[in-house]
Amino acid sequence: MENFLAQFQSIKNSCNRLVIAVDDVNDVWPLVKEGFEKRLPFKKAILNNKTRNPVTVHNLPAEFILASDLKVRSRFIPDQPLFWFREPYATVVLITCEDLDEFKTILKPRLKLTLQNDEKQWFIVFVSKAARHNDQAYKMAQKVYGRVEVDFNSRKRERCCKYDLHGPEGTFWEELEFKIMECIRNSLDRRIQFYEDEIRKLSELRFMPIWSFCNFFMLKESLAFMFEMAHLNEESLREYDELELCYLETVKNPGRLREFGGMDIGDDQAAILNPTNKQLSQIVQDNSFREFEFRQYLFACQAKLLFKLNRPFEVASRGFAFIVSFSEALARRESTLPFCLREVWVLTSCLGLVKATADHYKNGLVAPEVEKEFYRVQGELYSLCRVKFMRLAYLLGNGSDIERSPVNSAALSMLPWPKPAIWPSVPSDASSEVLAKEKMILEATPRIKHFGIDHKKPLPLEPSSLLLEANRQKGSLSADSESQASQLAKVYIASQHALLKTISEPGLWKSLSSLQEFEKKYLELTKGAADNYHHSWWKRHGVVLDGEIASVCFKNGNHDLAAKSYEKVCALYSGEGWHDLLADVLPNLAECQKILNDRAGYLSSCVRLLSLDKGLFLTKERQAFQSEVVRLAHSEMEDPVPLDVSALITFSGNSGPPMELCDGDPGSLNVTLWCDFPDEIALESLSLTLTATNNADDCVKAIRSGDVTILKPGRNTITLSLPPQRPGSYVLGVLTGQIGHLRFRSHGFSRGGPADSDDLMSYDKPTRPILKVFKPRSLVDLSTKVSSALLMNEPQWVGIIVKPFKYSLKGAVLHIKTGPGLKIEESRDIEMETHLNSDNENNNNDDDNNNDDKNNKEFSHLTFKNGNIELPDWASNVVGVLWIPVRAIHDGLARGTSAGTILSERANVVDGLRTLGLKLEFGVSRNQIFEKTLAFHFTDPFHVSTRVVDKGSDGALLLQVILQSQVKASLTIHDAWLDLEDGSVHNGKPTSALFPLVVPQSSRAGILFDEEKALHPDTILNIKYEISGDRNYGSHTPVSLEPKVQENDPFLTFRSGLELQRPVLEPSLAVGFLPLPSNGLRVGQLFTMKWRIERLKFSKDETNNDEVVYEVKANLKNWMIAGRKRGHAPLSTKQGSRIEISVLCVPLGAGYFRPPQLELPNVNRANICCNPAGPHLVCVLPPPLSSSFCIPA
Amino acid sequence: MIVCIAVVGHQNNPLYIQSFTEADDALKLHHIVHCSLDVVDERVNNPKKSGPMINETFLGLLYPTENYKVYGYLTNTKVKFILVTTDLDVRDADVRNFFRRFHSAYLDAVSNPFHVPGKKITSKTFAERVSNIVKSVSFNTAG
Repeated sequence: MENFLAQFQSIKNSCNRLVIAVDDVNDVWPLVKEGFEKRLPFKKAILNNKTRNPVTVHNLPAEFILASDLKVRSRFIPDQPLFWFREPYATVVLITCEDLDEFKTILKPRLKLTLQNDEKQWFIVFVSKAARHNDQAYKMAQKVYGRVEVDFNSRKRERCCKYDLHGPEGTFWEELEFKIMECIRNSLDRRIQFYEDEIRKLSELRFMPIWSFCNFFMLKESLAFMFEMAHLNEESLREYDELELCYLETVKNPGRLREFGGMDIGDDQAAILNPTNKQLSQIVQDNSFREFEFRQYLFACQAKLLFKLNRPFEVASRGFAFIVSFSEALARRESTLPFCLREVWVLTSCLGLVKATADHYKNGLVAPEVEKEFYRVQGELYSLCRVKFMRLAYLLGNGSDIERSPVNSAALSMLPWPKPAIWPSVPSDASSEVLAKEKMILEATPRIKHFGIDHKKPLPLEPSSLLLEANRQKGSLSADSESQASQLAKVYIASQHALLKTISEPGLWKSLSSLQEFEKKYLELTKGAADNYHHSWWKRHGVVLDGEIASVCFKNGNHDLAAKSYEKVCALYSGEGWHDLLADVLPNLAECQKILNDRAGYLSSCVRLLSLDKGLFLTKERQAFQSEVVRLAHSEMEDPVPLDVSALITFSGNSGPPMELCDGDPGSLNVTLWCDFPDEIALESLSLTLTATNNADDCVKAIRSGDVTILKPGRNTITLSLPPQRPGSYVLGVLTGQIGHLRFRSHGFSRGGPADSDDLMSYDKPTRPILKVFKPRSLVDLSTKVSSALLMNEPQWVGIIVKPFKYSLKGAVLHIKTGPGLKIEESRDIEMETHLNSDNENNNNDDDNNNDDKNNKEFSHLTFKNGNIELPDWASNVVGVLWIPVRAIHDGLARGTSAGTILSERANVVDGLRTLGLKLEFGVSRNQIFEKTLAFHFTDPFHVSTRVVDKGSDGALLLQVILQSQVKASLTIHDAWLDLEDGSVHNGKPTSALFPLVVPQSSRAGILFDEEKALHPDTILNIKYEISGDRNYGSHTPVSLEPKVQENDPFLTFRSGLELQRPVLEPSLAVGFLPLPSNGLRVGQLFTMKWRIERLKFSKDETNNDEVVYEVKANLKNWMIAGRKRGHAPLSTKQGSRIEISVLCVPLGAGYFRPPQLELPNVNRANICCNPAGPHLVCVLPPPLSSSFCIPA
Repeated sequence: MIVCIAVVGHQNNPLYIQSFTEADDALKLHHIVHCSLDVVDERVNNPKKSGPMINETFLGLLYPTENYKVYGYLTNTKVKFILVTTDLDVRDADVRNFFRRFHSAYLDAVSNPFHVPGKKITSKTFAERVSNIVKSVSFNTAG
């Protein structure tokens, strides 16, 4: 059967559409041929696939061939199923007949003979030549056709149709097509069945020694070809796929050792898209085919079908997998193949595949993910191609022009060297070439790295030393005398000659022959890969290759393009924190920017270089980066750029609790800066923002340090002065400042250590407050030391307690402004002492300060200047008392009262009030101010009340003077006398034995004067007294007297006018208190109080003759009075006239009280006779018990 | 031979990368690991493609190149382990097993209270353990 291979191939090549045989029984074909052929190709056909499922096929090509034609007749080889695909798929029997008898006798037997027992799929077309108007002929034709139908149609199938040459076509063509399709479908189904059976039979014999893959292949391909002709490409592809699987199985089977192939000229050029590259008969070998050619052939057939199916993306992805697996197969046989055939084959196959698939690919016709995948595969193909191309170039000695980048190194150095059986040797006539190459090697200068980065070994492009590999495989180590360069030159030249033999494509050889051409091709492949990757998911692959393009651009002086690409690469690496890779590319970008004079970019690149892991560069190199930064920062830049140095300068607050400040206080903040610059760096200015954590409105406050700050590498502590801040807590915000002319900014908050380089990914936000400013609170209080009264008109100490509340008063100044009637005795020093609490209960409540300092009493004399006092330092934290000597001035003479009159205490108190306005300035910069006005109470030592006790028989009066002490001090009366109005000296001086009379605090004493003369209200009482009191409690010895206590006159004199109550000598009116209700007074019970006024005689002193003015006076604490308290009451001047005055009263408290009094203001008291004469008391009972709620049940 | 093993964080940042080659060529392995993230991303972002693999931590072979193989493994916290090996004939089960052991070493390392999540792993113990695992594993079925 192998013998048929050539024939099979040629038939296959000559046959490309389905054949429909025309059995022209009555020679009518010429009449209908045109019409029939017009129907071709068939617009739409429904055929069955292998599993008998209908498949719609469009534009099915076919061909009408007369059954008598030699083409059909000669090729019929009934027993050979190989050629079934070319047999007619339908037979159209063309007949015409105008006579029924003729049909019955001649035509019908003839037809029966041809059509009976035939495998052919046939049907009859009756051609009617009768014209429509020729009625008889037409009818006859109808009759004959009716007969034909009866004879040839069966119940299952109609096999006849009629074509009127001169009549209307009607549905004839549809009917014709339908019948042809029916036939084709049936033929296909039957043939598929035949093929399947045959193939199955062959398959069953697969493990027999006589089995031939070749036969199997022809049968299978024959079926595949039939499918292809019927446009059932999917089916055809499946056959090829099965063939491939089957073939690979036979190849794996190690039973027979076959030739691999690939040794022919031109085999280096892949033929994976060209099925007709070689005749199959050429590669047939021992019942099978050579692997090298045959696998490519199978793939080519599959690719062709896939292109027909419009699935170029599948060609690409299958192709890539095929190339990789085929490359492995080539690697296994590398020692027998021509030198580097594998490399060249992969290169050409990738290029071919990329080109073909890209040509067939039309955008937008597929789902996006398929499209992405397609571009990825294209990228992979380009990339593989690129690697092989570089490998070849390296073998030819162009390695120095290949960038030793990570991507190239990864692609090349992990590939093993080609392993030919014998490494090629230098041809004898090539010594001059070797010399030239050697010279070139020696002259090649290594790439200069920017910034003098030279500590890194360049990455390898080769798996291990090429020299060793070549020598090892050659089996002879060359003489040691030869230099390495010369040995390498030999290897290169030898490879060059060997490759020249392998590479058959002149284009490829050209690309490898010169540096310019190499670079052109290299760039084309790299760009191709990068562009495709960019369209796919694999962005990183694309960007990395952009970097390779950039390096070529850089070499060629296209710095602009290079910078753009490098930027992309750097952004990729830095975005994901791959510092090692970034450190490899960033210097290149920086160099581009430097050349392009892109200062901003260059600057930021230098900063980024400094920000990378320290271990990636030597200190020397980092210093070079820094000096570039500093140089640029101090140069005049057109557009100064802000620098982000977040990774280089980081900041943190002090560890420990935040600094605490009171509202309004300034402070100074210590901040730790970590500097990652390798050398010291000078910052022209520096400021730090504080962010309030509680208040979103004024979140940012900047604090500045105006001076130049020099940061050392590592830890630095700087102190920033802090103006008063609003209450709240603050965290550190952003560090800004200037280096040279450049503003920089750092968000780099560190937790008290140097910045981690991977912090670049996400900055920590400082969360711990660094500063707390408290809400306004009272920081200090000023209060009076003494609550009781001080002596009026005498110099007295007033004590002011200065009490700080946990706040230092250091450097505080007190401004004092005296109120009216008060004067500071400036002749005396002001004193300050520690405040001691004598009372125990105070001690318990008070701050511990006081207790602590109990034993540590401080005392200072302070000077009073311009109303200011500076507080001593010791008083900054303890409660102190400031003693200020003052004198309250009261010009009036103190007046006594007659005993028994109700005094208005209030007036007295108000008279004695004096104020001191105090203003305390304190705080760090005296920013805090506390103002308060303190009131002090001054008073006379005594209140004097008098009463004329009796009138002696000699007319002299006996005057009782009651002295009420008004101070909390002991008073000692040493002398007392009366100054009479006329200046005469009284003689009724109390006996001197009485003195000294001691009056304890707040108590009374009495003195009795015996006065001969009538006393006048202007009589003045003089009392010489001494006071002994403590300034801590109240009145005390006046300040001015203190030092001269022991001297002549230690006594004070108090003068008071006397209010004398004269006895009623000439009564003209009598006021009688009428009896109260007999049941007594009760609290809350209304009663009427009554007085009766009776005229005893008419006095001329009275102004109003027939009325009196009255006034009811009562202590309002005890009584409530309803009605008029003051009024005019009519009273005639006649003796004995009387009137009653009544007032409604309610007692307010129970006990003995003085009842309301009736006074007659217009009548001299001496003329009123009262009953009872003096003050008397009445009893008020408590309110009656209310029993309404406690009635027994 | 395993030439490189890497831990890559969920932001695709390297957390640990260790090469086991003699030559001073770690950078190319950095490149290989970094580029293989493309494949990981593709698999993770296109669950349709990976199909039933979606709940599987082992991502399988990422790169079928002719000179080395890259395998991936994705933890629940989206941390990736990348393995680069020059052995070409490797059984998936062996790699799976390797990753499982590596994963447990990684878990111990990040459970250290002094380790800051998301930061590079600097533990020497981890490095030692990894190198022991690498030494003990041999993928090459051919021998």
